[in-house]
This record gives sequence, structure tokens and C-alpha cells, in this order.
Amino acid sequence: MRTAPGGGELSWGIRGAPAGTAGPGPGVRDPSTPPGPGPGRPFQFPEIVSAPLPNGLRVAVAPMGRFPLVTVAVVLLDGGEGEVEGGEAGLAVLAGRALEGGSTRRSGQELARALEGLGASLALHTGWDAVTVSATALAPRLPAMLALLAEVVMEPAFPEPEVERLRNQQRAALRQRRMEPGTLADDMACRVIYAPGTPYHRPLIGTASSLEGADSARVRAFAGRRYGPRRTVVVVAGDVGPEEAIRQVEGAFGTWENRGGDAAGGGIPVARGTGGGRIWLVHRPEAVQSEIRIGQMGAPRNHPRHLDLEVFNTVLGGIFTSRLMLNLREKQGFTYGARSRFSFRRKAGPFLVSTAVTTDVTAPAVREALGEIRGLWQEGPTPGEVGQARDFLTGVFPLRLETTAQLAARVSELFVYDLPDDFFRTYRDRLAEVSPRGVQEAAGAVLNPEEMAVVVVGSAPEVRGPLEDLGWGPVEVLEPPDA
Amino acid sequence: MVNVPVERHRLANGLRVNLSVDRSVPLVGVNLWYAVGSRNEGPGRTGFAHLFEHMMFQGSAHVPKNRHFELIESVGGSLNASTWFDRTNYYETLPAQHLDLALWLESDRMGWMLEAMTEEKLRNQQQVVLNERQQRYENQPYGDWDERMLAMLFPPGHPYHHPVIGSREDIAAATLDDVAEFFRTFYVPNNAVLTVVGDLEPDRALASVEKYFGVLSPGGPIPPFPGNPDLSPTLGRTVRDEVEARVPLPRVYVGFRAPSLKDPAFHVGEVTALILGTGRASRLYRSLVWERKVAKDVSVHLLPLELGASVLLCWITGYPGTSPTDLETALLGELEGLAMVSAEELARAVALAESHFLRELQPVGERADLLSMFDQIFQDPARLNSELDRIRSVSERQVEAFARRYLGPDNRAILAYRPREGS
Repeated sequence: MRTAPGGGELSWGIRGAPAGTAGPGPGVRDPSTPPGPGPGRPFQFPEIVSAPLPNGLRVAVAPMGRFPLVTVAVVLLDGGEGEVEGGEAGLAVLAGRALEGGSTRRSGQELARALEGLGASLALHTGWDAVTVSATALAPRLPAMLALLAEVVMEPAFPEPEVERLRNQQRAALRQRRMEPGTLADDMACRVIYAPGTPYHRPLIGTASSLEGADSARVRAFAGRRYGPRRTVVVVAGDVGPEEAIRQVEGAFGTWENRGGDAAGGGIPVARGTGGGRIWLVHRPEAVQSEIRIGQMGAPRNHPRHLDLEVFNTVLGGIFTSRLMLNLREKQGFTYGARSRFSFRRKAGPFLVSTAVTTDVTAPAVREALGEIRGLWQEGPTPGEVGQARDFLTGVFPLRLETTAQLAARVSELFVYDLPDDFFRTYRDRLAEVSPRGVQEAAGAVLNPEEMAVVVVGSAPEVRGPLEDLGWGPVEVLEPPDA
Repeated sequence: MVNVPVERHRLANGLRVNLSVDRSVPLVGVNLWYAVGSRNEGPGRTGFAHLFEHMMFQGSAHVPKNRHFELIESVGGSLNASTWFDRTNYYETLPAQHLDLALWLESDRMGWMLEAMTEEKLRNQQQVVLNERQQRYENQPYGDWDERMLAMLFPPGHPYHHPVIGSREDIAAATLDDVAEFFRTFYVPNNAVLTVVGDLEPDRALASVEKYFGVLSPGGPIPPFPGNPDLSPTLGRTVRDEVEARVPLPRVYVGFRAPSLKDPAFHVGEVTALILGTGRASRLYRSLVWERKVAKDVSVHLLPLELGASVLLCWITGYPGTSPTDLETALLGELEGLAMVSAEELARAVALAESHFLRELQPVGERADLLSMFDQIFQDPARLNSELDRIRSVSERQVEAFARRYLGPDNRAILAYRPREGS
């Protein structure tokens, strides 16, 4: 190891610069401590104007005018969670994606040409809670874009060749999830956290066997049951006036008739699996790292202590200076990143700690991560940590509302999760009330580190012994499903 | 359509400063471009520019380790940095009243970073970066594609021959002396552009910039790039690399040398990429995914680079059982088809470019990054406002000529992945 010029404790000033590079160093640092803030600027969540159409479809408009852009999000209020478990798994995603297959009036290619000719790319996203069909274009093109999106959603044709093509894509995507270590770890964690036959146990996109019989007839029947004006919200965000936008949405969607199409899914409650208190080892040949997940069933989005849980998560693994990052990355050098997350859904989605570490530090990393979870859960956060997390969440709120697409997504949440109209306006005030004790209580009620499952995707022969030596729980080998 | 105001200044020490007022959001985006990236790494030092970027977050004389992140996050800001072939950028977006905090932090590490460096911090970040390399490349299916592709597109000794992440050996071999020398050579005000966009008072902001950065001394002249940046515009032949690996699906990457970011023909490349592979109505999606069903997905990107050539990159992923040869044949066939480009597909490409560009401009941080880029590369940040005009001026005939010149068999680097049996 070479020593630095100036020697000593390897801490040297800039002034000893070798000839030919930098000139003399900077002047005196003034101030030598960080400057405080200037006068604060108020932030107001954009005013949302919302109105129902006679057919039951709801419209919500949020203005944002810095650039001449507008985003439309057609939100169909059911996602993958409401599928009948087993046979239908993955059907919500398939139906959502098959919307690109064209309408009863036009082929998918004709629709794509028309939309993209407006500069609008069709985005089809199916989550556990909703299907979102969205696009962004220059504001003057709003009427044309709305007409095309309405055609996509109201008159899907689901031709067999298209459904077959998209089913094959979905099956190939399953194979990709199975071979990418991060997605494999996510899927395996949910498999042991949730009981078989309940939502979230299996991947949102389904399984090889559930997709087997997913043909055009089944997709059409599924969409016929689910898609309809009473279970749809059209969100318009961007450079357009509310009355104008509502009129245009009515023009495009007002003729949509209710013919069924309002069957809310979601009849099956979530249930914990039996995977807690154990380490599940998934062998991945040639792995140079271990993907680690630690977690359990979390809480639903409308949980009364939602913000307390957000703060808990922020302190544990939600920001760069979280406990997990400072320990596993900045102290130990075990990983590029470590984080935690509650997947707040309509039902209790998973709470997961995630990290990827070099094979030979797998067991120490699991030990440190479990130690951080347990420490925060048992003792609660410090007032300083809660203050920092609150300030972070308060300050970062407008940063996540900089684009028309982000704004549309936030407005959609109000409907998907049945949140009160003033939810975003009161967000900061409610956050200000979060206390260290409240955070500890909420985490105590929802989580229990001893009941968490640990999933490790990596080189099983190398990591098994050290994981057993941790003495935290039995180590069991888990085989991934066929894909 | 695009009218982003920009006020330019230059401090006595050479720091270029751009200020752009936008009062529609109570935020500021602060962005610093240093004209240094992996292109400046000599032999045995690959990956160093990126490792150095990590060291910039390890504190400076007046900022203890982790304090930089803590200060920004505790006011509700977001921050990060990234290293590319030609530059390294550092950025934060935060509530507007905290502008001075960001300027102070950035200036502290530009001026006083070395005082805080220790062997322990370097060893720690080497481990972090080696883990990053594993997580993003070594442990991922297809994770070595960029290393293989760059090695085909750029000859040994060219600054773009190696990927930004660098080799494990070189990352592990870095020393504190390297950190000191790199800092003194490249992290100097005359090698940087600072841009601030958002809810700011230009005079006050400029006074703060002057106060915090003005005391820093300029560095010396920036040394020439190691190796030889000279390059012929095209490869002169087709080069190939075939890999059997633990990948889920067959995939073919085809890379082409394309005009440099500084070349007026770069915009023709952008339009060509849109026609080929952006959107469901693009040529590759329509033909390979939709009609022939040979590909599961397609991607086309023009990677903007300064020295000699950019890279136009296509990749297509097949279904289980598809042969990579069939994928390749199908893809190359579509390239031949670009001999004829219609007015309608050109119009589609321009419409997509317009809405993509405006979407990209929305966050103040993105806008700041683009202004820094246009300043660094063209010495003209306001060029951002005319960018779409250049896209709109591209004609069908230019795209056809571009395809003839750059997408033919004399300029292709083909990388094919075949899933290994039993994986």
C-alpha cells in the first residue's frame, strides 16, 4: 500500500499539489458550517376537480401548466388481486396488455399508428389494484388522444392471435423473472410470506400453468365482467382547464354503457403463509452474489397508521441515510444498496427488506439486517430520526409531483384506495403529528421480526453452512417453480 | 414550444454558471457537470472516474462522512450522481429555500474534498463499487453485453473501449494517491458547469454561487485523453461475438458507430432510432414483435458520445427456442427496409420526439442537467430551446442516407446470446 504525499494519517490538504496540476488551493471557507434556509415557499397540491358522468364514470382533472402537455390515465379499478385464485392468475395482466391488440373498429397497429402520430405512447400497466391505460401528448391533442383511449378501453376486440402472442410474451417474461436474481428473490419471498391460494402468494403475471388456458374467450369474458364505466376513473393532468377537460372526457366516454362490467374483484382475504422464522435458500448456479429478502405481511394502504409505518420504513431503509444503508453499505461495505419497503395495496401487501451482497458475506449481512430490523422495532426510532424522516417526507412531496404523469398517478391513488378528497392537502399536517412513540406502536402492531421470513437467492453450497451457523432459524432449500 | 430562460455567467476561476428561473414550483434543481468520465482513465485505471464519484460522497473538510446525504435528505431533497464516458454529474433537487445549502455542499467538495479522504473510506467504497459491479453486471443475465459490445465498436486504446464500471482488478487497485491526483486534475472550477433551475432570484443566487465557489482556485489545463481517440466513422466490416450463457431467452444486440453528439447528423440518428424502435408502430416492433412474432421485445437507443462516434444500439429478445440466427436475420432485414422512409413515419417520429422532450424537461433537475450538457458540449445552454427545431428539420431522404451510411454490413457489431442447455 502506498502512502499519500504528506504521510501521516493519510489526510492531507490540497496545498501539497504536485507541480503541473492544480494551482494554489482555495481561500478560507466561509461559512465553515452549512448555511440555513431562506424564506420558505408555500406548496399547494393542485386543485382537483372531479365529476361523475351520467353513466357512472368518474372524471378527475388536475391542472398543471408549465409546459403544454397533458396526461390522461384511464384507471380501471381492479387489478390482479381480484382474480379468482388458481385458474385466473395472470389474467388481469394479460387482459390489460391485450388492449394493444386493437378494437372492434381498428387493428392494434392502426390504433398504435394513430396514437403515436399524436406523439402519445400507449402505456398499459396492470398492478394488483388497478389497470391503468395512459398516454401523454401536447395539450392541443387532448381530444384526439381521449377518443383513441376510449376506443382502446371501451371496444377491445381481443382477437385470438393477439391474445396468444401476448400470452407467449407473458410466459417468456416468467422465465426472465425466474432467472433474474432480484425478481426471483421477490417472487420467492411472497411465496413463503403468503398462504397458497391467497392473493400476493404468486407473481402478478401468473404462473406457467395458470396461463396455459388463457385464451381469447377467457380474456374477453374477464374484461366483460370487469371493465365498465362504473368501475372507471379518467384522470386528466396538465395544461387544460377543468370544465374543458370534463366536457372532452364526456364526449369520448359518455356513450359507454353499463353491461355488467362492474364486478368488483377482491373476494379472497390475504393470509400469512407458514414461512416465517425460517431461512429459505434458493440455489442459483454460478451466483457471485446473494439476493436477500427479509419480510412478512405488511399493512393495507388505508391502514390508520399508514404514516407512522412510512416513517418507520424511512428510518429503517427508505433513504440513503437510513439505518440499513449506513450499516450494510457505508460501514460494512457489504453491498451497493440496502432498502426496505411496505407495498401498500388494497390488502396487506408485503413489507420487505432487500439487498444484494457478495457471496462470502451473505450470513453476516443477514445478521446485520435482522439486527437493524429488531433494534428499530424493539426500541423505536430516536426523536432525531423521526424529525429527519418527517422533514424528508414533507419536503420530498412536491418533488414527486413535477410531471403530468406523476400528478395523474397521485390523483389516481385517491380513487384506487378510496382516500378522502383532501388527502394530499392534509398530508403535511398529518405527518407533523407523527411521534417516535406512535411509530414504535404502529410497527409493533403490524410487524414482528421473529415472524419474518428470510429468503436468500445465491450459491447454496457456499452460503448454507454460514446461514445455519447464525442460529436464527432452520435453513430450508426452496425450489423455484417451473417457468 | 420550448422557451426555457437561461442566464449565463462565468466566474473568474473559470466556473461556468447557468441560472434558469421557473416559479411554477417551489423547488430548485442544482446540477454540476464535470468534464471527466471513463474516457479520461488511463491503462490499469478503468472504473476510476466512477469510483471517484463515490468518494465525492464520503465527506469533505467541513462535511463529515454521510453528512452530505443527511443534510439534503433532512430538508426533503433528493440527490445523486452518475458517471458516463464523457462526464460525471452531481445533482440535487430540493425545496427552493435550501438553495444555499446545496451550493455550499457542492462547493465544499469541489474545494476541500481531499482533506477528508482516508484509507478506510476508500476501502469501503471499493467494496461498495465491487458489489455494484456484481449486482448490475456480473450477477445479471446478459450482464457483460456492454463490455463485449464496446470492445467490438472501439479499438483497444480508444477512450470508449472499456465500460464505465471498469474491471474488478483496476477498481481494487485504486489508491489514495490516485484520488488526490484525479481530484486536482479534473475537479477544478474551469472543468465544470454549474446550473441552477427553479424558484430562484438570479441576483441572489449568483451572489451565493460567487460566495461559495468564487474562492476556489482554478486548476491547470486539462490533460489530453489517454490512448488514441481517432476513429473512422464506421467499422469497415461486420464483427461478431457469440455467447452461450445462463440467460433466460435468446437475445441479439447490434451496435453501430454513429455520428458524434457534436455532429449535425446526430439528429438524423435520433430520428432514425425513433422510426426503427420507439413505440408499437415503429418498424421493428411492428414487424418483429407484431407480424412475424419472432421477438418478444425490441429496443433501440442512440447513446450520445462526444469523441469520434456515438453508438446506435438495437437489441431484440426472442422466445424460448428461437434461434439467435433467426433473430439476427429478421433484425438485419428490417434495416435494409430503411432504404425507403415514408412521410407518415417521419411525422410519427417527430411527434414522439416533441412529447418525449417536453416530458423530459418537466422536472427542474432534468432541465438543469440538459442545460449543463448543452453548455459543456456546445458552450451554448440556450441550444436546448432550438433542439426540437433540429429534429423537425430532418427529412426522409436524410434518414435513408443515414441508414445507407451507418446501418450497412460495413458497420455492424453483432452480439448474440444463446441460452445454455438446461438453464
